[in-house]
Amino acid sequence: MPERKQNLPQLYRFCFLMLGDSRKAQEVFHATLREAAVRAARGELPDEPFWLFRDARWRCLDATKSDLQPESVEIDESAVAPKAESQIQRLDPMQLAIWISAAPDPQRTALALFYLDEFDYREILDIAELKLSELSHFLAKGRTQLQAWLDSKFPDQSKA
Amino acid sequence: MKLLSSMRRQRSLLNCAPISARQLGDRPMRSAISRADNSAEFVDQQNFDRALARLVRLISIPAESAEWFSEKDLVPLSKRTWKSTVRNPAVLAISIAVVVIAGVFVFNFVSHLHDFPGSATARKLLGVAASTRPLMLDPVNAEAGTLSDLFFMKHGLEHYDVPAEFADFNTIGCRVFEDDESRRVAQIWLSEKRMQLFLFPAERDSKTGAVLQFPGWRYVHQEGWTGAVTEHSGVLFMAAIRGGEKDLAPYLATPKE
Repeated sequence: MPERKQNLPQLYRFCFLMLGDSRKAQEVFHATLREAAVRAARGELPDEPFWLFRDARWRCLDATKSDLQPESVEIDESAVAPKAESQIQRLDPMQLAIWISAAPDPQRTALALFYLDEFDYREILDIAELKLSELSHFLAKGRTQLQAWLDSKFPDQSKA
Repeated sequence: MKLLSSMRRQRSLLNCAPISARQLGDRPMRSAISRADNSAEFVDQQNFDRALARLVRLISIPAESAEWFSEKDLVPLSKRTWKSTVRNPAVLAISIAVVVIAGVFVFNFVSHLHDFPGSATARKLLGVAASTRPLMLDPVNAEAGTLSDLFFMKHGLEHYDVPAEFADFNTIGCRVFEDDESRRVAQIWLSEKRMQLFLFPAERDSKTGAVLQFPGWRYVHQEGWTGAVTEHSGVLFMAAIRGGEKDLAPYLATPKE
């Protein structure tokens, strides 16, 4: 269990999904691990399994605080369709990361943690400090919004 | 109202349904999924989520970041305290089982600690003593020591001699019977404290046929009765009394082994 909780490749992917930028993701990832190394040297590592992800999340949010924030506009939504699988196969990870990182927080955190496929829903609730109804709402909304975006990005598939 | 709330919670759980089966440790979640497993909407959602998770796994790790992966643990392993270990149901169940097994082992060990050749038969005969009524015996009014001749003359039993410690007591009755292993047992009822005496063949080595001897007196206990047993010339003698060792001790000439 502890091996999974400190899965460092997943920590990097989390930063990447949160920021949508490889350089920024690396900065936050390195800063988080430097902090961890310093704390480990002092014997002050927090006694909880998710602290690396929690710490990285706040660093990601801090790093984008000064960036241009997405306008709060109504985003199109479409019900998740069977064609989505083939549409997603045509995406590259960077496009997905940019889409997720553009979502307002805490939806962004919820989507990033969920699609890492690393944590169960209770662990996500713990890390993102959400209630079940909130997480459910953010994920459901994220799916329909992403489906609408996929439909607009791959209209030929949508027609098919 | 309750139904609505339950359906809403189930819908919430389904929206958070795990992508891979390894995250499926939660009972309410399993129950929600099993109810929705065949719905087209849920199947589409799962396919959608799996496709996205596959895409996320394709995110490559830059070489500079990958260097960190060999670092030592940055999350402390939670140390198990002895209390949490003891409270673990598996540990608790195993501990109880071990204690019970150890208890049975100790009980068996202690109860057989004072065993001697013939002790099992002696215990069975204490059971016979407890269930015998005077009517079952042939009335004989004599000194116990004189019955050796009777056993030899009438039943052909050699060396069925009552030891000197009990030879002078008056008898009420006696009989000879076969036990469940067809060994001939002589039983004598004394007037002294309603004591009963038994004479029966000593155990023998199964290979050599030699009598398994033991020195002095040995005690056996069964259902509130106590017997003092000694061996002489291949015959075991047991004096049985309802009570404890202290009730028999005054009659024995030599100290207990």
